[in-house]
Amino acid sequence: MIGHISENRSIFAGYHPLVNYMWFAYVILLPVFFMHPVIVAISFVPALAHSIYLGRRRAARFGLCFVLPLMVIAALFNPAFNHRGITILYYINYNPITLEAVIYGIVAAGMIGGVVFWFVCYNSIMTSDKFIYLFGRIVPAMSMVISMALRFVPRYRAQIKRIIAARRGIGFDVSSGKFIERVRSGGAILSVMLTWALENGIETGDSMLSRGYGLPGRTAYSNYRFDSRDRTLVLLLAALMSVALFVCVTGLISVVYYPMFVMESVSPFAGIAYVCHGAVCLLPLALELREDAIWNMALHGCGACAGRQEGVPCLK
Amino acid sequence: MFEVRGLTFAYPERGRAALSDVSLSVEAGEFVVICGKSGCGKSTLLRHLKTVLTPFGRREGEVFFDGRLVESISKREQASRIGFVLQSAENQIVTDKVWHELAFGLESLGEKTPVIRRRVAEMASFFGIQEWYEKSVFELSGGQKQILALAAVLAMQPDVLILDEPTSQLDPIAAEDFIETLKKINDEIGTTIILSEHRLEGVLPRADRVAVMAEGRVLCEGGASEVAWELKRLGDPMLTAMPTPVRVYLALEASQALRRVRRGSTERLAPPSFGSASLSVTPCSASRLRRSTRSPGFSSVRQVPQTVREGRVYLEGKYAGRGVDGERGVGGDEPARNNDGATREPIIEMKELWFRYERDGRDIVKDLALNVYPGEFVAVVGGNGVGKSTMLGIVAGDNKYYRGKARVLGFDPKKADGRCLTDAGLAVLPQDPQTLFTRATVFDNLIDVATAHAKRRGEPASPEEIEAEVCRVCEMTDIVNLMGFHPFDVSGGEQQRTGLAMALLTKPKLLLLDEPTKGMDSFFKEKFSAILKRLCSDGIAVLMVSHDVEFCAKYTDRCALFFNGGIVSEGTPRKFFSGNSFYTTAANRMARGLFHDAITAEEVVALLL
Repeated sequence: MIGHISENRSIFAGYHPLVNYMWFAYVILLPVFFMHPVIVAISFVPALAHSIYLGRRRAARFGLCFVLPLMVIAALFNPAFNHRGITILYYINYNPITLEAVIYGIVAAGMIGGVVFWFVCYNSIMTSDKFIYLFGRIVPAMSMVISMALRFVPRYRAQIKRIIAARRGIGFDVSSGKFIERVRSGGAILSVMLTWALENGIETGDSMLSRGYGLPGRTAYSNYRFDSRDRTLVLLLAALMSVALFVCVTGLISVVYYPMFVMESVSPFAGIAYVCHGAVCLLPLALELREDAIWNMALHGCGACAGRQEGVPCLK
Repeated sequence: MFEVRGLTFAYPERGRAALSDVSLSVEAGEFVVICGKSGCGKSTLLRHLKTVLTPFGRREGEVFFDGRLVESISKREQASRIGFVLQSAENQIVTDKVWHELAFGLESLGEKTPVIRRRVAEMASFFGIQEWYEKSVFELSGGQKQILALAAVLAMQPDVLILDEPTSQLDPIAAEDFIETLKKINDEIGTTIILSEHRLEGVLPRADRVAVMAEGRVLCEGGASEVAWELKRLGDPMLTAMPTPVRVYLALEASQALRRVRRGSTERLAPPSFGSASLSVTPCSASRLRRSTRSPGFSSVRQVPQTVREGRVYLEGKYAGRGVDGERGVGGDEPARNNDGATREPIIEMKELWFRYERDGRDIVKDLALNVYPGEFVAVVGGNGVGKSTMLGIVAGDNKYYRGKARVLGFDPKKADGRCLTDAGLAVLPQDPQTLFTRATVFDNLIDVATAHAKRRGEPASPEEIEAEVCRVCEMTDIVNLMGFHPFDVSGGEQQRTGLAMALLTKPKLLLLDEPTKGMDSFFKEKFSAILKRLCSDGIAVLMVSHDVEFCAKYTDRCALFFNGGIVSEGTPRKFFSGNSFYTTAANRMARGLFHDAITAEEVVALLL
């Protein structure tokens, strides 16, 4: 997890999983399906800001070292390999570089970067519990299967480590010896893992049966409750989202990249859509910042103070 | 509550019956302990108490629950009313989150969310789980996992709780906590408890009734005192699994009775009893006696001291003055069991070692110094998570220390990579021997190791020679009859021995053992120690980390206490344990008022006779 702020400290993460999920579905999917330059730009900034808010230095480093190069590559690749469009800027090796392809590449890069940052946020906000809960609503049996899988993966990983260490202790080291020996040693570990998993699975099965697994009418329990705070936020988000979606879907704002870049983007409707979309993207971050300000007021008597961490004295 | 009548059971394709003609009844609210050496049929019996867990096989006899045949009770009712906790906490936890695990059973029963919420909350509060309620199971300790498994079963509000060796994978302190929790459930909620166990120290004083099983039969049954006397009368080896106070008491009383008999007294050997009601305890009379032994006024069997406190009161009451102000004891400083050790080159030499896992982490090992000499059996004892296993990792070259000086088999373990140390004669027996097995039979596993090591030493051995070598080691570790089995199919103790055999086939000069006695019953511990003794007499050094104080006191050459990253004190077991007053054997704590340096039950008895 990249998230620096624990789940408990993030205000938005404390909302009902449905609210979280609805918001993420919107902010991730809209720029993907509607690659309008302004929409993409409006998404990108809050995505970056929110991921840095949650992940602090680690998120910033991740953005600089991984996302930025990715975006540059995406922006360069499109014009290099895609020669559609009528406005030719210049030729490289007799291949035309077109203005349309350059614009498309930049917008696509912005979209990809934004989505990656949204996923960084997603990772720290949508914990396995929430994911399981949401899928449990759709297919009750699924929630348990996912939960079991999440239990097994770290267990298996730990066991493989233990097997490697144990075998090294009696002179079978996977990292030394001839290539064939090492391959054989690796194969042996996999085979013993399989036996181990099956063998121990029997007891897991017994434990499940013993606690009534397989009886008809299984329910799915969760710790979540949809409260008034969730309802308010859902209504607000739904209103903002539907305005933005309406404007996008009905073609009140539109964009065509090829053969010529044409953008329908300046009108009162477009302005409303941009404001709504921006509000949706920024709302959770705004909630976090407001909450921080309230706490700072309570702890330091100063709302504007930057000392978000406990113990950092107010500089006022 | 439960009534087992004439139950006989045999697994398919096994000649011997796993259970033969077992009859047992358990009443509501009782705390019943079933003990016996591993493979005696405890688990098989318990599994017959719940239909979904009953193994397939040939079966006669009946099991009743609340007056009804257990098979005739619906699965739903059984799931909620008969709770079953299995041996391995790790395996029986199904989901990834603590809260989900608590809710699992109730989800299966189809309870609604508000009901589950309340029951889960109750459970979490009762067991003090609130702190880790939202954690991943992955982050919990072994003891916490077993408590969680128990709470998850209890959330379904069962009338009876059946537990199959629930503490065998836990360290002594976690095991004691777990048993204490069971007693609390029994006392405060009234849940009937049926528990199988081979570690009797903590359980016996808390049980209402004990049933001893041997070879698929109930050997005897009754209150702890009755059972103890009965075992003494039968001369049953199960006696060695009894807590120290019981063993000391029985040995002393029986020999005195014997002396009285020799002097011409007509008193019978067992059990010595008050007044005229002299009864010999048999399985049937024992259950009749049960009620009466609980009320002290009508006790017909003399109460056997089961805890250190009772044992101490008994010893000091009866033998006051025998100890003579702590001067009398086992006598002097015993010669080191291996006295030429000091003159030889140490096989492990560690001086002022420091180690941490991460750069910014805390130091796990601080200023550690320890030497081990050839032919020595050294035990490092200490609490949970103090870094004992980390120390073994340093010796084995897995953990690289960052300060200090170390030498293992002539190599610096920090610089030893890959097979360097194992080629020089190091072998490690891991805590879980299952991690060593890669082939489908015990025999193939052993041949693999033997072949690889013969090749590595550059001695081209013929298949016959290798087989002969394997056979020699198998005889030594007593696993000849397991050769054809899959290593996962044999019992825990047998897996341990197979693992040991694999380690020995590398022809080690130094053997590292990580908690080898975990899950071993008292019989096998004796066998195991004999194997180790033989290795030491061949000049092999053994370094063991352990929680098992009693085992260390009895069998090792030297003990060391690991605390806060280093060795705090060390010495021969006698010096070491008689110097401690809390972290020492039950026998030592019990006889403290009489002798200062007796550390095993045998020594206490020998001094007093």
